[in-house]
Amino acid sequence: MNPDNDAGHGRSGVSRRNFLGGGLVAAAVTPLLNATAEAEAAEAASATADGVAQVLVRAAVNGAPVTVLVDPRATLLDTLREKLDLKGTKKGCDRGQCGACTVHVDGRRVLSCLTLAASTTGHEVTTIEGLADGDRLHPMQQAFVEHDGLQCGFCTPGQIMSAVAMVDDEGPARSDDEIRERMSGNICRCSAYPRIVDAIRDAQKVMR
Amino acid sequence: MPRSPVGREIDRVDGRLKVTGAAEYSGDYRAPERAADLAHAHLVTSTIARGTITRIDTAAALASPGVLRVYAAPEPIERLALYGVTGQAAGFTEPYIPLQTAAVHFYGQAIAMVVAETPEQARDAAALVTATYAAEPPRTSIADEPHVPAGPTISGSPSSLNILAPGVESIDAALAASDVVVEAEFHQNVQHHVGMEPHAVLAVWEEPDRVTIYAGAQIPAAYALGMAQRLGLLPQNVRLITKYVGGGFGARVVLWSDTPLAAAAARELGRPVRLVLTREQMFTLTGHRSHLTQTVRLGASRRGVLNAVSHRSLAERPSTMSFTMTPAHSTSDALYSTPNLHVDAQLAVLDIPGSRAMRGPNEAPGSFALETAMDELAIATGVDPVALRLRNYATTSPSSGLPWSSKHLDECYRVGAERFGWSTRSATPRARVDGQWLYGTGMATAIYPAARRTGFAARVQLRNDDTAVVSTATSDLGTGATTMVAISGADALGIPLARVTPEIGDTYLPPGAPAVGSSGTHATVPLVVDAARNVIAELKRLAVTRDGSPWQGAAAEDLRYERGILHGGGRSMTFGRLLTAIGSRGVDMESSPGGDPIPGVIHHSFGAHFCEVRVNRFTGETRVTRFTTVADVGRVINAKAARSQLVGGVIFGIGHALLEENHLELRTGRLANSTLADYLVPVNADVPDIDVVMLDRPDPRLTGPLGDGSEDVGTGSLGARGLGEIGTVASAAAIGNAVYNATGIRVRDVPITPDKLIEHL
Ligand code: FES
Ligand code: FES
Repeated sequence: MNPDNDAGHGRSGVSRRNFLGGGLVAAAVTPLLNATAEAEAAEAASATADGVAQVLVRAAVNGAPVTVLVDPRATLLDTLREKLDLKGTKKGCDRGQCGACTVHVDGRRVLSCLTLAASTTGHEVTTIEGLADGDRLHPMQQAFVEHDGLQCGFCTPGQIMSAVAMVDDEGPARSDDEIRERMSGNICRCSAYPRIVDAIRDAQKVMR
Repeated sequence: MPRSPVGREIDRVDGRLKVTGAAEYSGDYRAPERAADLAHAHLVTSTIARGTITRIDTAAALASPGVLRVYAAPEPIERLALYGVTGQAAGFTEPYIPLQTAAVHFYGQAIAMVVAETPEQARDAAALVTATYAAEPPRTSIADEPHVPAGPTISGSPSSLNILAPGVESIDAALAASDVVVEAEFHQNVQHHVGMEPHAVLAVWEEPDRVTIYAGAQIPAAYALGMAQRLGLLPQNVRLITKYVGGGFGARVVLWSDTPLAAAAARELGRPVRLVLTREQMFTLTGHRSHLTQTVRLGASRRGVLNAVSHRSLAERPSTMSFTMTPAHSTSDALYSTPNLHVDAQLAVLDIPGSRAMRGPNEAPGSFALETAMDELAIATGVDPVALRLRNYATTSPSSGLPWSSKHLDECYRVGAERFGWSTRSATPRARVDGQWLYGTGMATAIYPAARRTGFAARVQLRNDDTAVVSTATSDLGTGATTMVAISGADALGIPLARVTPEIGDTYLPPGAPAVGSSGTHATVPLVVDAARNVIAELKRLAVTRDGSPWQGAAAEDLRYERGILHGGGRSMTFGRLLTAIGSRGVDMESSPGGDPIPGVIHHSFGAHFCEVRVNRFTGETRVTRFTTVADVGRVINAKAARSQLVGGVIFGIGHALLEENHLELRTGRLANSTLADYLVPVNADVPDIDVVMLDRPDPRLTGPLGDGSEDVGTGSLGARGLGEIGTVASAAAIGNAVYNATGIRVRDVPITPDKLIEHL
């Protein structure tokens, strides 16, 4: 037996071939698909199907329309990192156990390793790269720098995305303990936790 | 006039890159020129702990879409062309050659590797590889396997030591002659480093005999040297880039299987290869802290004055890569004054994944045992725990007899007790109850060696735009090393921090200090100061010799450098303008060799932890509610990053005390808790605010003299001492002691999980 099987990566009846076999149809900056591209995409889909029909995903990523062909089982995390070259979103476990891959879908925090890319059609995806306004950091990013809410920085994109949605989508925390509780899905092995709490307490005052 | 940044609250220089997602970790590099060529590898691991591979079936994997290669043990040497590693690098490299042997040494060893066009194809095909084995029963029990002496510690001291006062026959006799004796046995399971970044490598061959490796490494120079030997290359033909590293904690000291395999596949295939370990593979392929038992016996007078300390340990020694566990080293052999001292470390060889130093490698488990036993002695003698420690305060090492270069532990106790409000504590367990919660407090002492390290270098370049570049191939694991290099450079040159660019994490730079053993800062700072001193001298030499300089023909001794400006003969000029005037873009110099150990003193960092916990009377759940740590860590370079390091260290102790353990299945040799759902590390809700104070007492004997201000170079960053691990040392003991004070239950088997308390509550 291969240990990858118990870990959930094996084939469970269906082929995961060409998991992300479809090509990127339009780069993150191109406007919405035109008819030709759509036709090409359909053609590409059948050409690379390999037993699994590819899915055309049309979403907004960091405010720009994106169209991409993916294997129906492709995660949002792998699609962001490998297809859209948005490497700021990190893979700490690929199992929904660490929070490093947290992004926003329609402003909600989600674990992109547990989200199918195909499910984001028609939705807005925001990653850490889409948070700052040009050179101006988002108040949460600024607060993380000032309070040293990070050390190695690997968990940081996930922490910040989680924190921003915690405030914006779910409403500011009323106490430090509430911040701690609501941020406990994001592991920081460097253990910047107390400074993360400081950063969020500060940033939520100036957000909204 | 710029104010020196030393000791101030400085934001990390790479903070912006880290909060915007722009910092590139090893798995993020793109190999831009050859991106289309990039291939992806995935490992297959063994499902037995000991034996021989009889056959690996790769047919299905090879037939899988996108698959380029399947390498399966035992590979013929011609294909992967990996070689043994000897000499200096051997201590930092796994001792067996991956995939080129059919022998299985542990459960979870790499036995095959699939390379494919995409990561998903590689992963998918890896799941189709099957292996058959001739299995042997694994050796998994430290109690049952033969015990062997541990051998010398990492610093070269004997692992066994017996110091007896005149006329005393044995440590047992010394204990028997003591008024009060405490004897306690401690146990802890396997623990893991769990850096948040899974190990990742990208190997790009520029020429058939020249490769660039992107991987996280704590000792870049040794890592690259090990890679060169593994691949059969000249050392200068391996370049390692290790700029952003998602945590080390000891797991990135060693050259494990992953990096050589990725590089070998890239060479054989003629394409760049990326290999990223899964989180589960991290638990068996990148080391752990050995599980161990310890026995501490303390003999003392009725007043609690120690007469004898005995500290023995028995730990696992993995049959492959092994960290020599000597937990009494730098704890019981250094902390308290005692006329009779006995320490001994034994090991039992097991078929278990390789182990490696983990934050406070010996000191975290060792101090848990010693400092818990000291708490028991405090109770047995009725002496307050802080008073007991002051009563046994050592001014010279009980093992070597040498004094410390700098020691302010007594002040740590005093300041900590005051801040924490220790004096209001009741020594009687269960004295404070609030609803379902029992409150208690405890304390413990931290000690960690500060090793002097030599043989490394830094380079300072002064540029004609009045900026400076400070370069040294050390590694920043999140410690703040990059910022420390910039701060030290800014202080040494007397220029604003914003005008200093630090460069680290690339073996093409001068060989930098290892990011291990809490020594990165105190090893690096003297190099930066020295390189700055040399470059200032070189600047003066240019000023008096070069055409275009207003000082041409003058004597270098008549020039004075101050805060980025050269003065002499009634003229002043910034170094940038001088360089421009002489037609130079920049001048650079490296540090001079030197920095040999200072004889006659020993170096340690110290600290005192004070902790409050509450334990639920009905569920047995323990929560840490308050924590104060006072640390004596020499000069503080960056108050902000230093505090974060200490706080992070203490939180590692919370994991040690309450959460972390991986169970070794005795029958199979499998580490059973190898996911982040089964191996628990602290999360935000487990952590209160941690109050940390640094005494900030420079230790110039460790780093070199501070200077009297007469020199041109600034020496304000000298006197630092390591602090990356001291927070982790004994913080678990403070928590355990607080749990005892809350409940009256002594748990000597960490983590202190609810099941160990609930039956006694
Ligand atoms: S990578 Fe998604 S939760 Fe860990
Ligand atoms: S900053 Fe390193 S894991 Fe959070």
